[in-house]
Amino acid sequence: MSEATELAAAASSTDPRVGLRAVLALRRLLESLETLQVDNARRQGWSWQEIAVALEVTRQGVHKKHASRRPAGTRREA
Amino acid sequence: MFERFTKPARDVVTGAQIEARELRHRHIGTEHLLLALLRDDGVACSVLRDAGVYPEQVRADVRAQVGAGPDPLGQADADALLSIGIDLDAIRSKIEETFGEGALDQPHMCEEPRRGLFRRQPRQVHGGSPRHIPFSPRAKKVLELSLREALHLKHSYIGTEHILLGLIREGNGLAAKVLTDAGLNLDDLRTHVLDALDRAA
Repeated sequence: MSEATELAAAASSTDPRVGLRAVLALRRLLESLETLQVDNARRQGWSWQEIAVALEVTRQGVHKKHASRRPAGTRREA
Repeated sequence: MFERFTKPARDVVTGAQIEARELRHRHIGTEHLLLALLRDDGVACSVLRDAGVYPEQVRADVRAQVGAGPDPLGQADADALLSIGIDLDAIRSKIEETFGEGALDQPHMCEEPRRGLFRRQPRQVHGGSPRHIPFSPRAKKVLELSLREALHLKHSYIGTEHILLGLIREGNGLAAKVLTDAGLNLDDLRTHVLDALDRAA
């Protein structure tokens, strides 16, 4: 597992490229998780307000970011 | 309705799916049909290329219009996360336990009308193939129009040229916008397709 050793070394690296790449990866992970969980909440009938409170953001913000995506199973009503 | 499609025309339909997937879009729109037509080497493609339409430019224009979905979490991301002590594979498998395979990598949507007759159509997310991408109503319309164009021309088959004619006839999708933004006149393009068909006949 020389790769693991390399990565362990990277963890303590002062090279900004390494650290910033980790931040980018974390942001991508965050976005994916947020998409998944917001869609799930909507499928379960949560309002945008409820989702916004849970995420500690504004209702407008969460709506703007996610409403256009329209996950499956929402808006079954007329 | 696909039984009358020629092999190249079927390839356009599957190619559109590939184009949508590569752009990480949630729907197959007219723009993906256009991109798939440009992969072909039949009448449609040669007419488009003669008119100066190239896949690289169209893809860039589509990205500029609707963007691409977020980059999926690749190996480089997994490595970077591991460097700060986060095991992406562990997270992925936990998520997939609950939400199903590929849940973390769902593509985002693009061209889709917010209202209309098609809006309540059920979409497959968990059932069926995990990466099935549905056609947008407009793209479906284009395929229907391609059938109509073939009938109108008294052709017994539907080829890529009919799909292109359908795309032109529909005229309002992102594909049409990309073409007209590039300075093309759709009526002229239609004439070019018909001329090419005459020459081939």
